Amino acid sequence: MRTLLRRSQIWLHIPMFLLAVLFLAPLLWMISTAFKAPEDIIGGLGTMQWLPRPATTENFRTVMGRAEEFPIWRWTFNSVFVSLAVTLLVLTVDALAAFAYSRLKWRGRDQIFALLVATMLVPGQVLLIPSYLLIRRLGLFDTYGALIFPAAAGAFGVFLLRQFFLTIPVELEEAARLDGCGPLGILRHVILPLSKPALATLGIFTFMGTWNAFEGPLLFTDTLTMRTLPVGITIFQGRYNIEYGPLMAAAALAAIPVTIAFLIFQRHIIKGISLTGLAGR
Amino acid sequence: MSTRALPEAIQAPPSRRSDGISGFLFALPHLLLFATFVLVPVLYGLYISLHRWHVLAKEHPLIGLGNYGAALSDDIFWIALRNTIYFVVLIVPLGNLVSLLLALGLASVQRLGTFYKIVYYLPVVISIAVVAVLWRWMYNTEIGLINLYLGTVVGWLRSIGLPLAPFEPLPWLSNPSWVMPSIALLTVWWTAGGNMVLYLAGLSNISDDYYEAASIDGANAWQRFWAITWPLLRPTTLFCLVFSVLGAFQVFGQSYVLFTSIQGGPQSGPARSGLTLALYMYLQGFRQYEIGYGAAIAYLLFAIVLVLTILQFRLLSNRDDATAKA
Amino acid sequence: MRALLRVLRTRFYPVLALFCVGLFTSGCSSQRNSNNQTTRTSDGKILINFWNGFTGPDGRAMEKMVARFQKQNPDVAVRMQIIPWGTYYDKLTLSLAYGGAPDLFVMHAGRLPEFATFDTLQPLEKLYATAQPPVQESDFAPVPWRATFYNKHQYALPLDVHPIGLYYNTKLFKEAGIVDAQGKPEPPHTFDEFLNAARRMTKDTNGDGRTDQWGFVFTWQRTNWLTIAGQFGASILSPDGKTSTLDSPPNLKALQLMHDLIYKYKVAPKPEGVDAWLAFRQGKVGMALEGIYMLASLEEQKGLPFAGAPVPQFGPMKAAWGGSHLLCQPKGISPQQSEAAWRLMRFLSDDSLIWARAGQVPARLDIRRSPQFTSLPVQAQFATQLPFVQYEPLHPKSNAIFPLIEPGIEAVLLDIATPEAAMRDASRRVNQVLERP
Repeated sequence: MRTLLRRSQIWLHIPMFLLAVLFLAPLLWMISTAFKAPEDIIGGLGTMQWLPRPATTENFRTVMGRAEEFPIWRWTFNSVFVSLAVTLLVLTVDALAAFAYSRLKWRGRDQIFALLVATMLVPGQVLLIPSYLLIRRLGLFDTYGALIFPAAAGAFGVFLLRQFFLTIPVELEEAARLDGCGPLGILRHVILPLSKPALATLGIFTFMGTWNAFEGPLLFTDTLTMRTLPVGITIFQGRYNIEYGPLMAAAALAAIPVTIAFLIFQRHIIKGISLTGLAGR
Repeated sequence: MSTRALPEAIQAPPSRRSDGISGFLFALPHLLLFATFVLVPVLYGLYISLHRWHVLAKEHPLIGLGNYGAALSDDIFWIALRNTIYFVVLIVPLGNLVSLLLALGLASVQRLGTFYKIVYYLPVVISIAVVAVLWRWMYNTEIGLINLYLGTVVGWLRSIGLPLAPFEPLPWLSNPSWVMPSIALLTVWWTAGGNMVLYLAGLSNISDDYYEAASIDGANAWQRFWAITWPLLRPTTLFCLVFSVLGAFQVFGQSYVLFTSIQGGPQSGPARSGLTLALYMYLQGFRQYEIGYGAAIAYLLFAIVLVLTILQFRLLSNRDDATAKA
Repeated sequence: MRALLRVLRTRFYPVLALFCVGLFTSGCSSQRNSNNQTTRTSDGKILINFWNGFTGPDGRAMEKMVARFQKQNPDVAVRMQIIPWGTYYDKLTLSLAYGGAPDLFVMHAGRLPEFATFDTLQPLEKLYATAQPPVQESDFAPVPWRATFYNKHQYALPLDVHPIGLYYNTKLFKEAGIVDAQGKPEPPHTFDEFLNAARRMTKDTNGDGRTDQWGFVFTWQRTNWLTIAGQFGASILSPDGKTSTLDSPPNLKALQLMHDLIYKYKVAPKPEGVDAWLAFRQGKVGMALEGIYMLASLEEQKGLPFAGAPVPQFGPMKAAWGGSHLLCQPKGISPQQSEAAWRLMRFLSDDSLIWARAGQVPARLDIRRSPQFTSLPVQAQFATQLPFVQYEPLHPKSNAIFPLIEPGIEAVLLDIATPEAAMRDASRRVNQVLERP
């Protein structure tokens, strides 16, 4: 890929940079708003006034300083912990399942897989009320379990990984089998090392999806200390009065850990396969 | 569902031997989670849809397909369906094109790649509450940044002598026919990074050797794209297309942030132009508490998407076979 | 081992099916909040979960009041949860229907009939009857007091009234010379005065040929419309609550007037939903009709010269939209918890001066008449409208019909439908909902 468009790098950078500016613009506005005083926020709308004058850290202090009202560190911990737990759980169970649906033969496999695929077509909002009932029934209400298990139960990851596993040549598997590997060995030593881009992609999708999840965490938890960040920071967004400054400050803070997570996962997307030297299908 | 009814893309190639129980055991952990937190709620939702079911009511009389009949004769349902289809038609090509272009650009740049990647991905990580406020500011007719800059650009172009009419602020969210395109634009910003990651994974799967060989053969960038990237990226493209159609039919968050999340106006945009099926379901189920009716809308949407997905799989997998044989 | 696994496999489908059915049927019977157990904290205090949607300055005032209550009532622990109004009722409804309900919660007057119809609220007659010191009807403004009743039961203690009023920008008024003999900005009282003032403030300040300063702006269309329609004597539902009267002449007149402010008199911009309020906060608009709850955020914003006045009279009679926050308990709450929650309710009602400062009119007459309240400039002005405040219809389907009406109002204001066409359509839809069981 690196050889593509080699001589025209400058012509590549111009549109990419312009696009980057467009993508960044709303976020820069968010960050600048986070540093503005209330009258500057309102006055600044409609003026193209990007820089706060004067810059103030008041909003950040509001967000971080009133732990009783907004335990933002606890919310951050909840979000990080839940997102990590869901991601690990999904990567584990979905990899096992995808292996079973793509590489092993067993009775009922295709029927069950079809069922998995079919449920992906049901709009998520319809599940909220039945899930609420179920979570109360199972005693998971207002626990980390309520935030983790439903989020890890979807079929998307199984589907994604299975499609990827199918592209890995069967010959490699046969070779491992001859070397005396069982199914678990094949998964560990053949399939997974070759699937880093897919696993990283699934990791990113799961982490982000869980991090941003809003309605589930809102309905399945109760106490202030069990909230996740997206639910927690809506406290600045009233029906009548939006506290713009603290809202933007909290959102800017909330974006930092996910961005780091993205940085970590995305490395594997490019490196994965080229490291193993086994490309194509 | 019998195996034969399955589209081929879902079926795994037949293995040579049976792995007995181990296959099932491998799938079991996920199946347990799935059965509890997806399958049961899905079936329960279906059960609810057959009843007149107000969340607060103690009695839920069974009315069979009554909710489905009511939905089909509800003109707002059809407005929502029309809006949803319009959105799908707008966003699937546009969103995938942008994501693919971003991924191609990222795969081709030699410097600043990580910077661009993060920038394009950043909108995905922003909380829904903030997206709501930011974009309602951006789209505001009078004080929105978009109109301000468009106005500045038009003014500048006029000042250097281009024969343009004076800038009239664009009614992004206040004119019914602008609403869906505005939502699509917001969607591209908000979600392009997601598909971009999938396309990147697909691209990283294509070996550099192909390009080296093609370069030696004297192929230019355009030829290399059509001869190598495009065909080898097909599985990824198909995956992204199928899932973006799926996602687009279930579009909810965008209208929600622009119109519903902050009360004070009609909850679905001017003349219901921002009302999508998933949002209508939410409004019926969560704002009106008629979850029987809301669930019926959801399963009608499910039926539409199911048919479309099967068609898509059929079409795409047949063509896959054709290419494989060629 | 192998045999065991084989059994598992052959038994798998029936087991899966049973598993589904089990969870499924266990979820079928709705779980009401019927536990008569008193919840206590680990140190033996009675735990009161108190839910409301008070974000921002309101929330901070409420926190203060709750903290004071706790000091005076060491046997009670209050756990207050702020859930923004946007999602508040989603959560409250689910908890009332399927368990996990709070012990005390805030409900808007317009929503009470719906929740009372479904028997989810605790009748409070006993608590009222035995209250010490006694609670009397004469302590409260009549409008919110009446709103606590539904079908002969009393379900709530009224906390406040939040009427709409006229906010006006005093700087723009002075610039346009709309002042009295002493040179003080003079808010309009009649429609003619209103229109005159609006016209004088509507102008193009930077000379680009486009109006950029407006005399008036429509913010929350629902409350603006209810106010103006009320002044024309329009109603939404017939007195028996069975049919819509949206397409009756008084309402059409009111809507025509709202339309004319934009398109005939050209003193207001096309609506932009609730964001139009930003234009007032930016000082680009002379007047807006908004709720008293907007006050706190205006006061926090330095440098905006504004004042409040009663709504001008657009139609033949006086009317102003208002809402009320009512304090309610869930059906089936344990007596001990109910008593503790009642103590908190009484305390919030007695202490509502703090609440008034945050931007509300207390429902309690003694507090409203106190010098501390009458010296609050905007609150006292808005409070003069209390005798003719109008709620949304106190009808179990009130919440169901507004989403059917609001697109019609907006269509009129966007000039994409005539008042007649928009209200005929809305009326038909509202009637359908009213006929539904």
